[in-house]
Amino acid sequence: MSQREGNLEDDAQADTPISLLPHLEAKIRQTHSLAHLLSKYAEQLLEEYVQHQGDPFGLPGFSPPRLPVAGLSAPAAGHTGLSLPERLRLDAAALEALPALLDVVRRRQAELNPRAPRLLRCLEDAALQARALGAALDTVLAALGAAAPGPRPPPPAAAAAANSAAGVFSAKVLGLHVCSLYGEWVSRTEGDLGQLVPGGPA
Amino acid sequence: MMDVSLCWRPPAWTVGEKRMRTAPTLRRLLSALTLLHVMVQVNSQKRGALRDLKCTTNNLQVWDCAWKAPLGAGHGTVNEVCIDDRLHSCYPLEKGNVKIPALPPGDHEVIVNYLHGFNGSSAKFILNEQNVSLIPNTPEILTLSADFSTSTLYLTWDDRSCAFAHHSKVTWEIKVLRTPRMELVNVVTYNTTLHGRDTVHYWRWTSDLPLQCATHYVGIRCYLDHLHFAGPKEWSAWSPLMNISWAPESEAKAFPQDKVVLVGSNITFCCVSQTKVLSGQIGKTFYPLIHLYGQNVAIHIQNISVSENSGTNVVFMIEDNVCGTVVFAGYPPDVPQKLNCETHDLKDIICNWNPGRPTGLVGPRNTNYTLLDSFSGKSVTFKRFETLTNESYQLLFQMPPHQEIYNLTLTARNPLGQSESAILVNITERVCPHTPTSLKVKDINSTVVTLSWHLPGNFARINLVCQIEIWKPNSKQELNITIKGVENSSYLVVVDKLNPYTTYTFRIRCSTEPFWKWSKWSSGKRHLTTEAIPSKGPDTWREWSSDGRNLIIYWKPLPISEANGKILSYNVSCSSHEEVQSMSEILDPQHRAELQLVKDDYIISVVAKNSAGPSPPSRIASMEIPNDDLTVEQAVGLGKKIRLTWPPDPNVTCDYVIKWCNSSRSEPCLMDWKKVPSNSTEAVIESDQFRPGVRYNFFLYGCRSQGYQLLRSIIGYIEELAPIVAPNFTVEDTSADSILVRWEDIPVEELRGFLRGYLFYFQKGERDTPKMRSLETGHSDIKVKNITDTSQKTLRIADLQGKTSYRLVLRAYTDGGLGPEKSMFVVTKENSVGLIIAILIPVAVAVIVGVVTSTLCYRKREWIKETFYPDIPNPENCKALQFQKSVCEGSNALKTLEMNPCTPNDVEVLETRSIIPKIEDTEIISPVAERPEEISEAEPENHVVVSYCPPIIEEEIANPAADDAGGASQVVYIDVQSMCQPQARPEDEQDIDPIVGAGYKPQMRLPINSAVEETAAENDADSTAGYRPQANVNTWNLVSPDSPRSTDSNSEIVSFGSPCSVNSRQFLIPPKDDDSPKSNGGAWSFTNFFQNKPND
Repeated sequence: MSQREGNLEDDAQADTPISLLPHLEAKIRQTHSLAHLLSKYAEQLLEEYVQHQGDPFGLPGFSPPRLPVAGLSAPAAGHTGLSLPERLRLDAAALEALPALLDVVRRRQAELNPRAPRLLRCLEDAALQARALGAALDTVLAALGAAAPGPRPPPPAAAAAANSAAGVFSAKVLGLHVCSLYGEWVSRTEGDLGQLVPGGPA
Repeated sequence: MMDVSLCWRPPAWTVGEKRMRTAPTLRRLLSALTLLHVMVQVNSQKRGALRDLKCTTNNLQVWDCAWKAPLGAGHGTVNEVCIDDRLHSCYPLEKGNVKIPALPPGDHEVIVNYLHGFNGSSAKFILNEQNVSLIPNTPEILTLSADFSTSTLYLTWDDRSCAFAHHSKVTWEIKVLRTPRMELVNVVTYNTTLHGRDTVHYWRWTSDLPLQCATHYVGIRCYLDHLHFAGPKEWSAWSPLMNISWAPESEAKAFPQDKVVLVGSNITFCCVSQTKVLSGQIGKTFYPLIHLYGQNVAIHIQNISVSENSGTNVVFMIEDNVCGTVVFAGYPPDVPQKLNCETHDLKDIICNWNPGRPTGLVGPRNTNYTLLDSFSGKSVTFKRFETLTNESYQLLFQMPPHQEIYNLTLTARNPLGQSESAILVNITERVCPHTPTSLKVKDINSTVVTLSWHLPGNFARINLVCQIEIWKPNSKQELNITIKGVENSSYLVVVDKLNPYTTYTFRIRCSTEPFWKWSKWSSGKRHLTTEAIPSKGPDTWREWSSDGRNLIIYWKPLPISEANGKILSYNVSCSSHEEVQSMSEILDPQHRAELQLVKDDYIISVVAKNSAGPSPPSRIASMEIPNDDLTVEQAVGLGKKIRLTWPPDPNVTCDYVIKWCNSSRSEPCLMDWKKVPSNSTEAVIESDQFRPGVRYNFFLYGCRSQGYQLLRSIIGYIEELAPIVAPNFTVEDTSADSILVRWEDIPVEELRGFLRGYLFYFQKGERDTPKMRSLETGHSDIKVKNITDTSQKTLRIADLQGKTSYRLVLRAYTDGGLGPEKSMFVVTKENSVGLIIAILIPVAVAVIVGVVTSTLCYRKREWIKETFYPDIPNPENCKALQFQKSVCEGSNALKTLEMNPCTPNDVEVLETRSIIPKIEDTEIISPVAERPEEISEAEPENHVVVSYCPPIIEEEIANPAADDAGGASQVVYIDVQSMCQPQARPEDEQDIDPIVGAGYKPQMRLPINSAVEETAAENDADSTAGYRPQANVNTWNLVSPDSPRSTDSNSEIVSFGSPCSVNSRQFLIPPKDDDSPKSNGGAWSFTNFFQNKPND
């Protein structure tokens, strides 16, 4: 592990300026703090979401298999093996895809749980926060000169809409996955940004 | 050839019989045919008989008869069937059956010719329509489709196969089978009537098991009930089965998806899966799996309960996956309750209702409401995703023009059903207008304004009833007006009878006729009406200055109701018969003017002016008519009012004027005045300026033609209070037994009421005495004199004691109460005669007592000697001592003590060591009175023991307590003469019991009784026997003659003396007692001996 982390550190140092500009450092710290904050919010969102889906959602032992979500994949097992810029680019791509998915989930939940304003507000906030974190991450990537070379594919809004036409149970599972993915990607972003923060974890 | 036996004809049937048959007839016919068939079989067995002959028809046009060849007939036999009818037509026989046109009713002989074989033989049989079965053609299914979302099968077919039978009834039988075992899950019949056209029929069926869960097959057959066919009728054959199957996906999936069911329903869910399903659950409850086919399974739920908002989850756990669905269990909509429709503006109808029982369904499954007016056919729909329980719903319905009556039906729908509620309203009677807005006020004149407002709506067809609320200070008024509704929503009314220059607040609300509801009040609109000329002149009074040269005119500001505006100035003028003198304008707020008049007969006129103009003049005569018969009266008010009365005076022609002022003010004094009509005989004067305890002067003037005359002068109080000061008083003269006191008047301002008298208190007392009795306690030693003559200013107090300090207190009082007290201490002068007597009498008494005592002692000297100084016996002659001696010598015989006369030779006087205060005649303060506590504490040590007793007697009365006491005492031996000196304080004597009292006792008979023993047992050292005087010591008590307790036998203040005393001893100072006045301590003198009345 330490060997692996040492390699990552080398990658990060190779891909980033040795001495970050103060404003860039501040931006990285700010983005990292935002990611840290959103990771907490994502946990609350997941709890709130599960609470309104009925049994067996939320019961211990109930863990529906992860079905692929159109336009968004779970962080790969080999994510940590990638270079830091690559990981940040993946983070940014996921954060760009998440708002549309969260919006789809919110719309379905508005039909299923119209009397759960807290859940709906959390989903709406999560979409905005994911968008904000993605934009901040893009700024960091651009400042680091590690932005994606080409235009990123458009968000999977159509695919998400197609998913929303499925049954209610599938929509619930989809929402569960999207909320989980939101938390995972935000946490992953927080971890990846942490390696850029001076004095942060290696 | 067929013989006759082949012919079979039911005996009851005839050819010409009408072919209408009932069902029992059909059954009997079938039975007969069966019998016929059996007979044909039997006969055909004989020789060349036809076997299994059966004739059917499917179109009533052609009969198809078939049979088996007779036994022995060759395979290639060619037959011919001939019918023995009029045409004797023959039909070739084809493969064992023959189709012949339908024959007319009746029996027909059918001959079957065997052209080959059977040696050209033939067979016969009788054929009748009744022997022909009607079997329709097999129907064909046109389409079979399915709605998988609702698990519904849709089947279509036509009646082409039965088209020939017009107006006949056809019964269709449809069967549904389900894999895997082709289980028959449903059979239904469906009746139609043939109309001669090729009609397509539809049938649908909803499966309890989702269609996706298994392949469903459908077949159909029919039964034609042709009325004109006499033969038996049979079901057609089943059509070929058609099936509906679900193309399974690669992923497992549960069905039905997102179904909405009624609470309490039974429902089956299945999971179509390629892999094994492990469990099935609804919510958290697991259910047993029902295996369908393959890996498909189902679970069945009975009596499902209401779902939560997001539905009830149905989940099947698969080895590596889950499949699930959601079911929404709820209720159909309740009947809308409390449906009420009204309008605010006659443009839109607003209907409110209560949804009733919650359906448990939300979102897209929520209840939709449709409001339909059956008269106009218009409808509106209420659709809302989010609904709260017990929320009142509202729907807006746009009114068609010129329609007043509405039959409104509210229909509630959700996926589980619908309900409705209806109301018939005349909308013009259900108008609750909007809140009026834009309220404006416009002046017309000082008492009339116009109100205009905006009321949204088209009320052109009805009348409005509006309520105008008019507020002015301290009052409220409501006006109800009816106005015709207008189309443009603007309304205007005139409001009159207002007061000039008054601030009003207007607000308005409206309803319609007939009344339904008031609108809300509009916001208030404040408005100040314009000014008008003052309605009256000011209330005027005049006063002559003290020097009588100037006339001061006073007037009161006009009340707002009479001023009708803001008073700007006043014009004062005076006129006489000769001239009119005008004064300059006096600006408000000055309300007085001083005129210098050359004579006293003028008419003064005062006019108030505001911006609208001058008021009518207010006139008053300047002359004051003298009144020589004037008395001053008193009056007391009640609260803040005072009531004045006077007798009627016919000379008073105009009015009465009562003026008043504070009596402490200097003249001319005027606080206020009040005018009352000339016919009045009383007036109640009320003013906020009145204060309790303040003296006011009231003057009643009567108005006559020449002027005003002062009729009465009254001094009064609104409320009397107690004086706030005490009268100053001085002692003018003092003698040995009297004091002359003089006091001064209390000022009026401090008297605060009419003086009703004085209270004079006096009592013995000194200035420095810390505690003086309160005057209110009514103690007996306080003398009170009530002086009700308020003119009295002196008082002589007699019968006092000489050279005694007295406390004098003087208080004044009114009806309001007692004033404060002022006190003074005065010492009366000494009485010289008493002093002389006090010196001479004791001297004379002492001389007389001395002479008498000397005489008696001389004459009784022998008796005294024997009594007080007997001879002392010789102890050696005492047998008691001999007895003691024998005891000491150890005699074995214990002898009784023999009490020989034993004469004591000495007197022992025991005395405590403690220092007993020596009482001197010059001491003026009793120690008992001053230090009672100390005496009480010292009492055990201050006892005096005067005793003498032989040693053997002392042993008998000795006790440990006495020993202890003796340890703290010192024994002093004195002679009898020493006993003549006082040895105990007076207070000790009160503890001396006559029995245990110390004193000399004869040695021969010393009384040691039980009381003494008991006392001794109680550790009372005083019980020690000793010297006792022969006389009763109780009689020796001497008291001071001036002591207040001198006659009290139980008094604690007693003196102790002895028979040896030649002069009386007494304690002249009475004991200190809080409850009794202290005696004149330092002023004690012998004159007290001669005072019989200690206080007087």
